[in-house]
Amino acid sequence: MSQVNGAGSPRLIDVQDVTRVFHVGGEEVRALRGVSFGISRGEWVAIIGQSGSGKSTLMNVLGCLDTPSSGRYMLNNKDVSHMTDDELAVVRNEEIGFIFQTFQLLPKETALSNVELPLVYRGMRAKERRERARAALAKVHLEHRMHHRPNELSGGQRQRVAIARALVAEPSMLLADEPTGNLDSATGEEIVRLFEELHRAGNTLVLVTHEPKLAARCPRAIRLSDGEIVADGPGRQVALGDLHAPPAQAAGGS
Amino acid sequence: MSKAVRVDVMEGARIAFFSLGANRMRTVLTTVGIGIGVATLLAIIGIIQGLNASFDKQLASLGSNTLQVSKFPWVIKGDWWMYRNRKNFTLPQVEQIRAQAPFIAAISPIVGRNGDVGFNGQQLSTVDVFGVTQEYFAIGSWQVMSGRSLTDADNAVTRPVAVIGATVAEGLFPGINPLGRSIRIDGRPFQVVGTLARKGKLLERDQDLAVMVPFKTFYSTFGKGRPFSISMAVDQGQDIRKAEEQLVGIVRRVRGTPPGAPDDFSINRPEQLAQTYEQLTGALYGVALGVGFITMLVGGIGIMNIMLVSVRERTREIGIRRALGARKRTIVVQFLMEASAVSAVGGLLGTIVGLGTAKVVSLITPLAADVQAGTIMGGVGFAALVGLLFGIWPAARAANLDPVEALRYE
Repeated sequence: MSQVNGAGSPRLIDVQDVTRVFHVGGEEVRALRGVSFGISRGEWVAIIGQSGSGKSTLMNVLGCLDTPSSGRYMLNNKDVSHMTDDELAVVRNEEIGFIFQTFQLLPKETALSNVELPLVYRGMRAKERRERARAALAKVHLEHRMHHRPNELSGGQRQRVAIARALVAEPSMLLADEPTGNLDSATGEEIVRLFEELHRAGNTLVLVTHEPKLAARCPRAIRLSDGEIVADGPGRQVALGDLHAPPAQAAGGS
Repeated sequence: MSKAVRVDVMEGARIAFFSLGANRMRTVLTTVGIGIGVATLLAIIGIIQGLNASFDKQLASLGSNTLQVSKFPWVIKGDWWMYRNRKNFTLPQVEQIRAQAPFIAAISPIVGRNGDVGFNGQQLSTVDVFGVTQEYFAIGSWQVMSGRSLTDADNAVTRPVAVIGATVAEGLFPGINPLGRSIRIDGRPFQVVGTLARKGKLLERDQDLAVMVPFKTFYSTFGKGRPFSISMAVDQGQDIRKAEEQLVGIVRRVRGTPPGAPDDFSINRPEQLAQTYEQLTGALYGVALGVGFITMLVGGIGIMNIMLVSVRERTREIGIRRALGARKRTIVVQFLMEASAVSAVGGLLGTIVGLGTAKVVSLITPLAADVQAGTIMGGVGFAALVGLLFGIWPAARAANLDPVEALRYE
């Protein structure tokens, strides 16, 4: 499987001693207490933890929806820890493909229009946008449903539209937040297979979940607890505590 | 257009119109508020503009190069009795003025009264009967339609002849040629020697309900007690204001007004009527604008309210757009465009209703409504501007939403 490295650091994501402190009603909540790790291109990493472990906060920081209180976050050789709001919007548009538990599709727009949206904000002309969106929908096997609105699609189809939307702008990484959480197990399995396909195609995937079974299928998993990393290793081992799992392939693609 | 601006404007416009279509009922209700404001403004402005236009036309019928020297001013300010005690003009004074003012193209004494004019059992009341000389017809731009105008010879021998206005001709001689007929003016016989082309109304007074007789005939028939004024036309191309200034000196000399004493006569110009008229409509304009602004304010608050609802409803949409790369500015533009589009639609509806109202008013009342193209553009543009202003706060709120919170919003 081919793999492209950035010019400087081989790591796509480099998180150094990141903290995130919230002030809720005069009280300090330390959601992240100095987290450090790296993710290379082509990796598929699960971030697991109980609710309240800080994994949602970490996902928001990784997704550039939020900035760390301290520490440094390098994404694709860019320090995004102190970027302005508008700069972060550009980074989100170019580097990150979001996949949400609740799909987060615009209900009044067709599947095609939904998939086009990231390219709209990139300023791409309508014709090229349309072609790329069609191609992305084909990748998730939905080309026959592209003129349907989300409420005319099944849950699995909606999530595949969301995945197409995440893929269409060719981001550096896909960031999925409980992508199977709102799906039945058969449909969830479909989506996981799709992730495996995407992983084999060389995409970098970060998957935030509380489901150990799902995390176990990822080559690598990071476990968070109380805002700190408590384990980082092969998915099966970290998620299920299975010490006989094959060693992690932390620094590269499969 | 830079790429970022293109994204903001194109996508903003697309979303704005999409959203207007999606909430049709709400859009209509919101636009009504702005629409009423614009309609009120336009209807009132239309009626005032109509009044102005017809007044301008009426003034033009007097001739822009005419002056009238008289004991009385047209617009009386203060004590009427003050003017009454001024000395009357005399005919030799008219000739002296003519001799001393080279810029005068035509000059005529004019004396008038209201009278009844009858023919063959028919009678018209409150007809303006004027005593004038031959030159008068060149001053008020009167056109002889048939027959002839009055001559110096008519005046010299006090012939009982008359030139009649269009309304008199139509009223007394339906289907009959009036030339050579004998009419009675307050019981005195006059022979019709000419008819005049129609001039139209001046301040709701029919200028064609008039009869002209020779100046001297007027006095010999109706008595000497009445003072006369002096009408004159200055040369074309002569500055009327300068002419007026020079005329003041000439008339003072002719009348022997002592130096230092105030003028014992008035020089009247159509423009003075216009000034009085403008003072009147200026106040009306002010009230109209005030009412319009208040309605627009109410409409604008309606827009703001609906935009706040729209922002709340679309919190998740905003979160999604922000996550996918929309900048704050893009969101601001989106909501501003939506707000001004709603307002502009209201402005358009209001324009149609306002123009319709003005039109109806002009049909069922003597008020003439007239709306200029600029006013229509102004109405729509102003409405859009109101939408823009009242959209700023909701748009800023939308853009300042935390994307993480917005995505979680149920």
